[in-house]
Amino acid sequence: MEPETVRQIRGAKELVEEAIDAATLRIGEVQRVMTRKPYAVLALVPPIAVPVRAIEDAHLHIVDGVYFAIRLGNRLAGLMAGYALDRLEEHARGKPAP
Amino acid sequence: MVENEGKAFGMPAWSAAATSILNGCIGDYLTHRDNGLAIDMAFYGRGKPLALTPDSLRTEWGAPKRKLCVLLHGLCCHEGVWNYPDDPARSYGNALRDDLGYTPLFLRYNTGLPVPYNGKSLDILLEELLLAFPGPVDEIILVGHSMGGLVLRGACHYGVERDAPWVRLVSRAFYLGTPHEGALLEKMAHLMTSVLRAVPHPVTALVGDVAGRRSQGVKDLRDGTTAHADDFTGAVPWLASAQHYLIAGTVTDDPEHLAARLFGDGLVHPPQAGDNVRLFPGLGHMDLAHDEAVYGQIRTWCAST
Repeated sequence: MEPETVRQIRGAKELVEEAIDAATLRIGEVQRVMTRKPYAVLALVPPIAVPVRAIEDAHLHIVDGVYFAIRLGNRLAGLMAGYALDRLEEHARGKPAP
Repeated sequence: MVENEGKAFGMPAWSAAATSILNGCIGDYLTHRDNGLAIDMAFYGRGKPLALTPDSLRTEWGAPKRKLCVLLHGLCCHEGVWNYPDDPARSYGNALRDDLGYTPLFLRYNTGLPVPYNGKSLDILLEELLLAFPGPVDEIILVGHSMGGLVLRGACHYGVERDAPWVRLVSRAFYLGTPHEGALLEKMAHLMTSVLRAVPHPVTALVGDVAGRRSQGVKDLRDGTTAHADDFTGAVPWLASAQHYLIAGTVTDDPEHLAARLFGDGLVHPPQAGDNVRLFPGLGHMDLAHDEAVYGQIRTWCAST
């Protein structure tokens, strides 16, 4: 495999990684806004306002956690793919990387 | 040229097409991130960039002619767009070489970058080409399809500004489906993006943001920007020392049909009739880059004095 081909594969890898990261971040923000809307309505009812806030906090933590896990998994997959591409590049150049 | 559709750097043909589409959509981002998928502007032969040295150019063409024909593809395309679908070995460049003795130079560039930026890059590249060319050059003709026509206009503008030697050699410029007055599709996209962003809802705002991420190259098609993107105050003048020819198509055989008047060639509206304007009814936007009737017109104009 030619070095230029490896460079393009690495570019595709980085692009996918950046796209997943940016999309997860942005969609997470949107879901946060959407999630808070029904709680904001329910919190207007005084007798249930306090438990509603507690449930909302828990819900938002779960939402944030899910998106954080996706981004973490994406970064780890990116690192592993980057390592594999380094080895492939060594092979393509016919010499070990420094 | 048929090999240009083949493997580039050992990558399959679809890879070159996919990379070109990606560059058209987000090419400015790829360049900004120094991504390996970003295309560097170069003349291509057999799917690889040509090194601008006398030896490599001699190897590519043997004994090159004294007349050059530079072909610029449009948005999201690469030099393979010039190949005839039913005869991939034939293209306007190769036909002009065989019929009129022009050496064809097929440009590949990142169509997502701002049009003025690509124009400046082409200006420099043509100067480097002349310095490296293995022999004297008497004449240059430029053929631009769609966005390529804007880029070549930009290159001429910047070349004139700094009195580049190559500009004096340009005798003719052909614009095939070039949106000199702006592209309707991008105007619609701009409007839709603005509406989506204005709607006070996070999902529509998100969709608007994603649509707004399209490349600056695409956005430049809205007004047909060719130069000075930062302080654009109007269209740049046409290169005075060259003849300019406009070729356009329409989606229907009847150019007066409502669909043709609304959509032009599918992406670009035809220019107003004139001496150096030729309309090909029934020819779609992409077909303008590889059609025998269009080539016949280019050949006729090239052969005229």
